[in-house]
Amino acid sequence: MAKPERQLAMVMDLNKCIGCQTCTIACKRLWTRDEGMEYQWWNSVNTQPGRGTPRDWESMGGGFREGKARPGRMPTAKDFGEAWNFNHEEVFFGGKGDKVHLEVKGEKPDWGPNWDEDQGAGEYPNAYYFYLPRICNHCTHPACLEACPRKAIEKREQDGVVLINEDRCRGYRFCMEACPYKKIYFNHSKSVSQKCIFCFPRVEQGVANACARQCPGRVRFVGYRDDKEAPIWKLVDKWKVAIPLHPEYGTEPNVFYVPPIAPPRFDENGNADMSKPRIPDEYLASLFGPKVFEALATLKEEMAKARAGEKSELMDLLIAYRWNEMFGGLDRDPATIEWVET
Amino acid sequence: MKANYVSGGRAASMLDPDGAAWKDARSETISMIGTPLGLQPTEAIRASWSDKSIGAVSKVSVAALHDGKQLAFRLEWDSPTENREIGDTTAFPDAASVALPARKDAPLITMGMPGSAVNAWYWRADDEGKARQVVAEGLGTSRTVDTNLVAGRGVWKEGRWAVVLSRALRVASDEPVAQLAPGEKAAFAVAVWEGSRGERGGIKAFSQNWRELTLQPLPTKGNS
Repeated sequence: MAKPERQLAMVMDLNKCIGCQTCTIACKRLWTRDEGMEYQWWNSVNTQPGRGTPRDWESMGGGFREGKARPGRMPTAKDFGEAWNFNHEEVFFGGKGDKVHLEVKGEKPDWGPNWDEDQGAGEYPNAYYFYLPRICNHCTHPACLEACPRKAIEKREQDGVVLINEDRCRGYRFCMEACPYKKIYFNHSKSVSQKCIFCFPRVEQGVANACARQCPGRVRFVGYRDDKEAPIWKLVDKWKVAIPLHPEYGTEPNVFYVPPIAPPRFDENGNADMSKPRIPDEYLASLFGPKVFEALATLKEEMAKARAGEKSELMDLLIAYRWNEMFGGLDRDPATIEWVET
Repeated sequence: MKANYVSGGRAASMLDPDGAAWKDARSETISMIGTPLGLQPTEAIRASWSDKSIGAVSKVSVAALHDGKQLAFRLEWDSPTENREIGDTTAFPDAASVALPARKDAPLITMGMPGSAVNAWYWRADDEGKARQVVAEGLGTSRTVDTNLVAGRGVWKEGRWAVVLSRALRVASDEPVAQLAPGEKAAFAVAVWEGSRGERGGIKAFSQNWRELTLQPLPTKGNS
């Protein structure tokens, strides 16, 4: 695999995510409405701490350890959470009045893609949680691409987007085992693997990804890693406050996260207790590695500066006063383009 | 092995694994081995199969017939479960293929090499009726070249698969595929994937070496 000339990347500010799933639905409406894609959520948002989507994906292996491929497990349809069918017909047209209520038809599900929403961890008044949106990481060292025996996965030279060629894919799913983020889905109708395409048909027209553009919280920045004028480079390389999820998986993701700063803890008298963080350090380090502390320190320092009335480039960037400046120039309005479905 | 000539109604039943043509066709039992771990094309596959055995099917009974136009192979093997549906992400279909060298010197163990292709006729249980013609020129290079020239049908009964794969002796194709003729010698090999064991791609049982196949000459005119 040749190193791509440029690399598209995304930064998600976890301090701003409100878990509204607008990104999830934007993606679903655009890309995964066909038969065989019912259960696919190329974009998902889960509550942390939590078991995630697919269920317990962090314990499924894959990726690399000390540079060597680490065997991975395949998530089942139940782990992903199957698409449920509801008894709409019966409720709305069955003439049964209030004797029926909306419910899932058939077997009662015990898991879904957002099953443990808002559960989190900790005890009142110091309970905590935050939301973690995830897409394919379009890794620099993609385990999926390297696992495929059919060379059906490519990393595009012009922008580093990782794509599955459905004409070459034969549905062997070695990629699903190898991806440590478990962000590849099997299409049961077409018998091929599918995943987030980083909205490449939009990006090619200068339009940011649907998940980013639709985000009401201004969580997502998009752009090229090497564009020093744009927010991605500033957040990742200059300020170093955006870091990858599970860097120990060894795939070098190109999606980065600004780690969450929770409100202070309360002591038994109900007073703010600043002596230790509400979200345990170990937990954040287990997700983002040790660099999370440096990122949090920088964030706190700059927040303090801004509070004191000083200028902070970092805070201005993260506040994102003008939302279409978050996209590294990919700010074209999709409504100005005539899209053709192929 | 010999591919005997059949004609008339018997030839017409050649595509059916239970067809009359196969009733008295001579079959040979071929021993199979798993493909070597070291030859799996990616490190991830080698890592995840290093502690698992490859090649669940240890023998396949093979027979072949031709009718002057089509060559058909019938493969039969033990498979305790009929894995036709993928159903869940973790389930894989059973499959079988017959490989033929497109050129005499094509190495089987590496699925050909650049410039010397192996041609495979491939049937998969979830794709019933849509067998593929595949060409490979080395490990990890197999590609489907057409889906309409090879016919494949599988019948699973009482713990055994019977699968017929057939193709015209000669086909018009720009791809390096085997071209055959009555009265000539050819070579073949077979491979079987046991879906219930997660076998797919290069993870399969195969017949180790090329075997000779003699296509019976057409009967001389007036003598048939």
